[in-house]
Amino acid sequence: MSKRITERYGAPSKNKKSSTADKVFVVCNTIFMIIFVVVTLYPVLNTLAISFNDGTDAVRGGIHLLPRKFSTKNYYTVLHKQSLMTGAIVSVLRTVIGTFSALFFNALLSFIISRKRFLFKSQLSFFWIVTMYVNGGLIPTFILFKNLHLTSSFWVYVIPGMIGAFNILVMRTYMNGLPDSLEESAQLDGAGYMTIFIKIISPLCKPVYATVALFVAVGHWNAWFDAMLYNRMDKEYTTLQYELMKLLASVTNQSAGGGSTESFKSGGTVTPTSVRAAATIVTMAPIVCLYPFLQRYFVTGLTIGGVKE
Amino acid sequence: MKIKRLVALLAAATLTAGMVSGCGSEKKEKTTEAGTTATANNADGEDSTGSNASAQGEYSDDEIVDFTAFFAVPGSEINDGNEIQEIIAKKTGVRVKETWLAGQTESEAVGTIIAGGEYPDFINASDSMSALYDAGALIAWDDYIDKYPNIKNYYGEDWEKFRREDGHIYWMNPFWHILNEDSTTTHNDEAFWIQVRVLEWANYPKIETMDEYFDLLRDYAKANPTMEDGTQIIPYTILCEDWRYFCLENAPEFLDGYPNDGSVIVDPKTETVIDYNTTPTAKKYFQKLNEEYKAGIVDPQSFTQTYDEYIAKLSTGAVLGMIDQWWDFAFTVNDVFKQQGLDEKGCNYVPLGLTIEKGMENQWHTEGGTLNNSSGIAITVDCKDVDKAFQFIDTLLSEEMQVLRFWGVEGVDYNVDENGVFYRTEEMRNKAADTTYKADHMCTYSYFPSYSHGTLSDGKNAVIPGDQTSEFYESLAEPVKKCFEAYGVKTYPQLIGSTDKHGIWFPMYSYSNNMTTETPGGMAWQKMGETKHEWLPQVVMADDFEAKWTEYMDAYSKCKPEDFIAEMQEELERRIEAYSK
Amino acid sequence: MAKKSNIYKPKINMRELKRQRVLIFWSILFVIYGFIFYYLPVGGWIMAFQNYKPRKGFLHSDFVGLAKFKFLFEDATFLRVIRNTLAMGVLNLVTTFIMAIVFAILLNEVKNVLFKKGVQTISYLPHFLSWIIVTAILHDALSSTGIVNEVLLKFGFIDKSIEFFSHKEYFWWIVAFANVWKETGWNTIVYLSAITAIDTTLYEAASVDGAGRWAKIWNITLPGIRPTIIVLLLMNIGNVLNAGFEVQYLLGNDVIKSVSDTIDIYVLKWGISQNDYSLGSAAGIFKSFVSIVLIVIANAIAKRTTDERLY
Repeated sequence: MSKRITERYGAPSKNKKSSTADKVFVVCNTIFMIIFVVVTLYPVLNTLAISFNDGTDAVRGGIHLLPRKFSTKNYYTVLHKQSLMTGAIVSVLRTVIGTFSALFFNALLSFIISRKRFLFKSQLSFFWIVTMYVNGGLIPTFILFKNLHLTSSFWVYVIPGMIGAFNILVMRTYMNGLPDSLEESAQLDGAGYMTIFIKIISPLCKPVYATVALFVAVGHWNAWFDAMLYNRMDKEYTTLQYELMKLLASVTNQSAGGGSTESFKSGGTVTPTSVRAAATIVTMAPIVCLYPFLQRYFVTGLTIGGVKE
Repeated sequence: MKIKRLVALLAAATLTAGMVSGCGSEKKEKTTEAGTTATANNADGEDSTGSNASAQGEYSDDEIVDFTAFFAVPGSEINDGNEIQEIIAKKTGVRVKETWLAGQTESEAVGTIIAGGEYPDFINASDSMSALYDAGALIAWDDYIDKYPNIKNYYGEDWEKFRREDGHIYWMNPFWHILNEDSTTTHNDEAFWIQVRVLEWANYPKIETMDEYFDLLRDYAKANPTMEDGTQIIPYTILCEDWRYFCLENAPEFLDGYPNDGSVIVDPKTETVIDYNTTPTAKKYFQKLNEEYKAGIVDPQSFTQTYDEYIAKLSTGAVLGMIDQWWDFAFTVNDVFKQQGLDEKGCNYVPLGLTIEKGMENQWHTEGGTLNNSSGIAITVDCKDVDKAFQFIDTLLSEEMQVLRFWGVEGVDYNVDENGVFYRTEEMRNKAADTTYKADHMCTYSYFPSYSHGTLSDGKNAVIPGDQTSEFYESLAEPVKKCFEAYGVKTYPQLIGSTDKHGIWFPMYSYSNNMTTETPGGMAWQKMGETKHEWLPQVVMADDFEAKWTEYMDAYSKCKPEDFIAEMQEELERRIEAYSK
Repeated sequence: MAKKSNIYKPKINMRELKRQRVLIFWSILFVIYGFIFYYLPVGGWIMAFQNYKPRKGFLHSDFVGLAKFKFLFEDATFLRVIRNTLAMGVLNLVTTFIMAIVFAILLNEVKNVLFKKGVQTISYLPHFLSWIIVTAILHDALSSTGIVNEVLLKFGFIDKSIEFFSHKEYFWWIVAFANVWKETGWNTIVYLSAITAIDTTLYEAASVDGAGRWAKIWNITLPGIRPTIIVLLLMNIGNVLNAGFEVQYLLGNDVIKSVSDTIDIYVLKWGISQNDYSLGSAAGIFKSFVSIVLIVIANAIAKRTTDERLY
């Protein structure tokens, strides 16, 4: 029924004799990639180095790829933050629930506006595109959420951001690229739109679903502004990033405010910069671990099912 | 197959969603339950509180009320079950859950709170207090102040200064009040700072003017162009990132011998407001900076460096001098010096009270408290129990609580010697600086009223450890001690040698802080700030100082500073009228 | 690419409405949702015409008509920040856009799967670094003793360190570079997912025809992701006024503020720090208005020149 093409990604594979031009290209490309990696990796490694460096020592600057004065105090400070666990649990929940619900609704809406026969296609698209550029502002939004009883609740994380115009456009473009004949033949078989969406289109959209899922999940994972705004006094709905934000604010406050002049050579010291580095690594780690699972969908093959022209 | 998996995933998601909502509502119930129990207990504890609690001096767990507080400044949250917080709760019957500003500006935070219309029990909105007052969110203090002696005595007659336009008092500034005798050891304010090694090298000369100051820096840098490790010396740097550009802009008011009224100078003789941006002194000051910039004495990176880079630069010990306020650099930089052993090499900074001419009196250091009536802690209309809230503030101001909040627990955080003098061991000092320990153990309720400086009624101990003579001297590096000896002083304020004689209107910045662009004066104030930000660096870097200065003055006068000055003059007269009764 | 079959949008009639009832049902739900969460708060725009005070709310704040807009457009600084925002917006758009496409295509040409996966994973890491961290590193690298000056000096391109942050002419490029550096890998994700949709048999057929690498990139890969490119381009055109706030705020300084301040920074300085929500709102309306005009124009052009469009 379906023909699976694997290993299609690295396109021109078993070519006969690759020309010299080709070889030059491969070499240049590899060099480019390596330079790219070096340039991109530097800030990350630098952050990693600072996160493992003593805070006050790091203030002197000059740390590049390796810590100068090794210390785990930054991580100790970050991981000992009270409510970090609550924050982590809420963050995981909102990421999971938020991603799945967003994926479903974005996909469904994209499916609708990518139907070529759909009567209100451009109106509905325009309706959503406008949302990308208009914004009522902080206070009107706050008042709205309060009236909807979304403040002081978990659902403020999931419901308002469920549909995003950017995601719809990305998905719609992908769906537009799928052969129309799929829909036609299914309809001839008597399938309804929901069946077509779930059984025919969705399985073909895995790469774009993975893309959107990644975008949405990262957005949820990194979110803190909503936690601060809508659940300021509700400790049980705090998120990981908001807790880290608070931690940073407090470390900053200590070093530039009512700190103490005493030295504390024993346990090592922390500064805003070093704690920020550790916090960055802590939040980055789960996403970095998650990514390879999603990457599968971008890198390996794609099942093309149904009718082929 | 694939679809089944998707359906299963969705089902799982819905399931989790259900679970969460279950969890959520369960939690909600619990909190409400706890809430009601608390109030119930409170209600029936009400009549017994007076006799019961004060007789035994302890509240039981279910008598303790949980209050919430929001502070529109960054701060450190303490952990649940914090030991000293529990002790205070037992003694006062109140536990306050503090929330601090993080990731938002103060006015955004206050704006959303007002828009939402739900307030915490206590609030300190910093410079946005008037927004809360306008919103009618605050309880008037008038009827309560007399009932609570500690609150009453904190400001005494000065309480009048807190009256708003409607004649009521709505908040009290929690800082800078001094108990008994002033024992301030540090110069927390602004100054021209200089490394002690420079003074030592020149055999502790008397430095009074900018010319002498820069000459000394130049001579020292010529004789010692690098640090021991080869780092190039930077004779003088200027921090001017964002709001921290006060390090560049406000020196003229001090150089003319006036105190930190901020934003303007007040001439005490004529009782008029003077704009310090256009005085001859201002021009001389910037011209001097311009000369020194061209001579390579002023760090060429001054105007492009960020605050972090500035701190990093100071931390290397290579910067000989700068203008700044103590709290802006000293805590971080002194720690690094100590860690790197630079403190023993004389890299620590001491303040100099420079003036534009020789032999003038300076007022860089403000003695006593600075009464900033523009902000403070307030009790909101949503407060669960207003009387209890005032009672709490009152109790916090007792000496017992002051010691508990800032010194800690006797035997754990400090010891008392045979003469009744408090002291800390090295280990105690280290613990007091450890963030994790602080979060679990110390509870300063720092934005509730306290005594920032002064002595306890035993006459022997300072209200905070940092001011304790022994503690202070202990923490000084050897070269600083030598420097103090050479000049015959014991503390930083003595070194800078200010003769403070600020007027009753002081500080004028408590008015300009609250200005908005709605008035012509506020509009001018905002534009003046923008213009100075843009022009002052150019003036200092100019090849042709005179031409640039004229250009700058043109741009400056377009901001209509006279509108601002007029409004400040009005406020000055209002203050003199209201306070001199 | 799959050939387009002949489905055309039909005329509205009862039969068609009935046929599409499921789609219409969901559409209505989506419109209700969108209306509540995106359009309803826009009612708050009314405060741009008021002197909004939180205590008075929308109903009782004083009306000031167009005074806030007047203030904006009479202020020379505002016109200057519009210029800066536009310049940086366009520069960012062009550079990040081209880099992402080039990188996606070149990455696609890497044969070694492990190497490719590795490069890709690393490429998106900077996305997770906050601007505070990135700007700190950049500031360090571009300082007079930083690595960039060091390299330039060593190779004799310059004979005196350049103070990159005190010259107005460098700033926009530094911001563009920072954006490219931070987001290229992340932006590539969408293109890579689009590339997977290209039918592999096309490459195979081309190989049989003896097409070289460039020919395949030019004739298969690029056309294959063209819809994605156009859609993202159109969308980002509407975003040019959102050139940013944090980067400029963190990298700018008083010497170069005349080129570094953006609309958002202006609003922060005038609006938020003065509690003037109305002014912020007026600037927001201006931005939305410009964005929508740009989008409509760009969409019309795209519609005429290519098949792709946003709506």
